[in-house]
Amino acid sequence: MFTIVVDIALIAMAVSLVLCTYRVIAGPTVPDRIVALDAFGLNMVGFVGLLMISLDTAAFSEVILMIAILAFLGSVALAKYWERGLVIDRNPD
Amino acid sequence: MAFQIVLNVFIAFIWVLLQNSFTFGDFVIGYVIGFGVLYLLQKILPFEFYFRRLKAVFALLWLFTKELFIANIDMVKIVLSPSFKHKPGIIAVPTNLTKKWEISLISCLISLTPGTLVMDYSLDSKYIYIHNIDIESRKAMIEDIQNKFEKAILEVRK
Amino acid sequence: MIEILISILIIIGIFFSLLGSIGLVRLPDIYARIHAATKSATLGIAFLVFATFLHFWIVEAEFIGKILLAILFVFLTAPVGAQIMSRSAHRTGVPLWNKSTHDDLKESYDKKKAE
Repeated sequence: MFTIVVDIALIAMAVSLVLCTYRVIAGPTVPDRIVALDAFGLNMVGFVGLLMISLDTAAFSEVILMIAILAFLGSVALAKYWERGLVIDRNPD
Repeated sequence: MAFQIVLNVFIAFIWVLLQNSFTFGDFVIGYVIGFGVLYLLQKILPFEFYFRRLKAVFALLWLFTKELFIANIDMVKIVLSPSFKHKPGIIAVPTNLTKKWEISLISCLISLTPGTLVMDYSLDSKYIYIHNIDIESRKAMIEDIQNKFEKAILEVRK
Repeated sequence: MIEILISILIIIGIFFSLLGSIGLVRLPDIYARIHAATKSATLGIAFLVFATFLHFWIVEAEFIGKILLAILFVFLTAPVGAQIMSRSAHRTGVPLWNKSTHDDLKESYDKKKAE
């Protein structure tokens, strides 16, 4: 029973990832794609969490943390780069 | 306040040393005991107890959780309705908060609550520019922000 | 018993995650999409990851603090990321949806340019 729920949840998360991918490919502007990539990273976190339950292993706990951090840093760096052409700048606004 | 927390952690540490084995749970129990000791001794100690401030922090967290759930029920209505009829727009909202950490805290709270998204600040940080998904309710929203969130944050600062 | 609770948490989580993704596809302009992507996806992921934490804590008797840290991190970073992405979109001139009525931010930029 429980494994069926986890399997269905994995399928649903896969569908959700596909929808994000659609927006990455189709998005009319670059910021659209950045937002979609950010949502993709968030959904990956949930996907790996479900995978941990499904495979019965605690080995992926670092993976969850790393994906969460990298998705945030990646989307912020992309947004900054798209806004100004550089990632780190000293000018506060 | 910082001194009191150090004292509290110190009591928790003593409690852990009194046990034979060290676990995280023991530390939490010790911290609660230290909290109780400080609470009982607050008349004697020469400084104000930090419980009132802690209560304000928890009130803020509770408000935030409640608003987050309301926000998501709103999103269900917006996303699953057959056609998108709302009129979105960007509004400047005046704020009474002055310190930087307060403004960043309130913008985090606003971003995760119903139909609002912080986009930018004015240079003198007197206005927050908020994207609102339904501009008809802008008056209620401005009132909400000023009455609920600013009050809760000012309660923490006091 | 505990498996039913975890199942309910998982179902709520996938509901909100899917809602965020559907909103990302359906909504008309980028700002509305950011609304869907941050709010719904954040709450959905929090539910899913918390279900994982409960499963390992109660069923497997393994306390994994890193997972709780991930929830905290997602909640701290989602609004910051949303703000930076929406600001960069607005500053690079991504237009609002054509039925949007009000744009105070653009007025303030115009004023700054005129000075």
